[in-house]
Amino acid sequence: MTELWQLLLLGFLEGGLYAMVAASIVLVYKSTHVVSLAHGQFMAFGALGFWFLLVKLNLPLVVATFLALGFAGGFGWVIERVAMRPLIGQPLFAAFLTTFAVFLTMDGVFQLILKGESTSFAAHLPRGAMEISGVSLPTTQLVSFGVCILLFVGLALFYRYTKIGLGMRATAEDHQLAQSTGVTVRSIFSAIWVLSAVVAGIGGIALANVMDIYYPLPYLGIKGLIVALVGGLDSLPGALLAGLLLGVLENVSAGYLDPVVGGGVKEVAAYVLLLLVLLVKPYGILGLVLIERI
Amino acid sequence: MWRPCRTFDETYREDMAFIRTPLRWGMLAASVMVLLLVPAFCSYYFVSFLNTLAITIIVVLGLQIVTGFCGQVSFGQAAFMAVGAYSSAVFTTKFGLSFWIAIPLAGIFTGVYGLIGGAPSMRIKGFYLAVATIAIHFVTMWLLLHLAITGKSQGIPVEPPRIGSFVFDTDERMFYVIVPIMLLMTYGARNLVRTRVGRAFVAVRDNDLAAQVMGINLYYYKLLAFFISCFYAGVAGALWAHLTRVCHPEQFTLLNALWYIGMLIVGGLGSIPGVFFGVILVRVLDELVLLVSPYLASWLPWVGSAPAAGLGLSAFGIVLAVFLIGEPRGLAHRWEIMKASIRLYPFAH
Repeated sequence: MTELWQLLLLGFLEGGLYAMVAASIVLVYKSTHVVSLAHGQFMAFGALGFWFLLVKLNLPLVVATFLALGFAGGFGWVIERVAMRPLIGQPLFAAFLTTFAVFLTMDGVFQLILKGESTSFAAHLPRGAMEISGVSLPTTQLVSFGVCILLFVGLALFYRYTKIGLGMRATAEDHQLAQSTGVTVRSIFSAIWVLSAVVAGIGGIALANVMDIYYPLPYLGIKGLIVALVGGLDSLPGALLAGLLLGVLENVSAGYLDPVVGGGVKEVAAYVLLLLVLLVKPYGILGLVLIERI
Repeated sequence: MWRPCRTFDETYREDMAFIRTPLRWGMLAASVMVLLLVPAFCSYYFVSFLNTLAITIIVVLGLQIVTGFCGQVSFGQAAFMAVGAYSSAVFTTKFGLSFWIAIPLAGIFTGVYGLIGGAPSMRIKGFYLAVATIAIHFVTMWLLLHLAITGKSQGIPVEPPRIGSFVFDTDERMFYVIVPIMLLMTYGARNLVRTRVGRAFVAVRDNDLAAQVMGINLYYYKLLAFFISCFYAGVAGALWAHLTRVCHPEQFTLLNALWYIGMLIVGGLGSIPGVFFGVILVRVLDELVLLVSPYLASWLPWVGSAPAAGLGLSAFGIVLAVFLIGEPRGLAHRWEIMKASIRLYPFAH
């Protein structure tokens, strides 16, 4: 029983990390209808920047966090200006493939910087584990999960109360209607990319707190995409729900199926879940159902 | 179909001919002769480069059929290639079939397997289907790593093909296996896209509703496109396995599938010559990066001793972004413009 609880809780905490990555992809999709692969790289570069500022330059934690997030946001702004804006009005698939080109370019730079090694800033942050009636939870995971909850609450408040958040929601409904009510859709697009890159940066820092910074880190962006699809591409609560679901599913299935089939269940659980969800509910658990012919 | 001035088709045969004029026959024969003489005059390195090029062309031709003509984006091409490689390896080593029978069998087996890849297209399309094929990639690779018949993480050693006592065990000898198959597959693809099936694919791509109204069974043609594309991937994978003489899951990564899509875009969607342009440009670029990177490492010490992998990715990503933003129709479109301007010289239009 303790083993099950251990798997469930660890999965829950990991799911929070997936949810953050998915949230950044959902943010972009909601307003621009572009599905982005590039967010894995915003994550990786946010974590890398944080590592550089905290470990190499020995800045205080708060300063390092803000600077790293500012760096990630600036990155998002540059990508929007250089790669995404020329594609407004082009087929959405071209935009998707452009984010993929951005992913490849930045992946090359990421590998050049890392030179095949792995780094970690976990030593500079609280470590250890918490025991609750036999279930041990690493502090790093708990901190990351706390960040995730704060992030989702913050996003909800942002969308509910700020003017720019409302503008983003209006843009998500209809670009032309939003424009005619005085929302500058173009600057909303910029703001969306900055915001989502910052969210991805937070996710990246939280992820790198749990795992090391090495070459597979950007590829977790693909997993975030899977989570976003399972939850529904335009739904933030869906991203949270699907992230937690996937985290739990991965850990429990790996814990119980790995001895039977010989390992590796954790890597495919997400994809099997995605295929099943796409067959049953093609627009995700909480996604908006479009009525169209296939 | 377009004809130059003063060229008239007088019979039905001429109208339907695949290669129309004696000049074109001559050019084709000459270029095939030159191609087949390459191993006699060029270095081993160049021949093995051409081998990988030819195999990549076969894979991307398959991708062109499903993505460029039928409009269903597939990120599963590397996994389907792996299925082809493994099935041919199993057919030759476990069942003792000859290579020449195993190749088409591997293609057909992969095609049938690819129907799984096409199955979700019943309920989803566009981007959702693309991500579903990513999922299929990972599930396939997991299966290959964990099934007993595929040798788990050890992979399968593969015998080189042979005719009688002649063994195709070097890259120069394999060249004469791979290149004819590549030419045959190119002919097949080029011919397919002007048949009823090919035109149905284009109709599905351009407007699926209109296609259905005109009596095209959408699901049937989408599955057919996946079958044909996976047939190509399977044959290419089988050739790859017999060229490298080992089957291992690490040869077929998602990154490979992403490169194939990139080559397709650089070359131009919906054009068979575009496949050649895209594959050759991207691969040559990759080789150039490999050549340049040692010098770069000595000039700029901070990039590290082995910057080739990272630089290659970046260069490819930038080229891809430039094509997507600047010339979404790819090199094939530029090629058509160039041909037209030469033909019309000295007039502008």
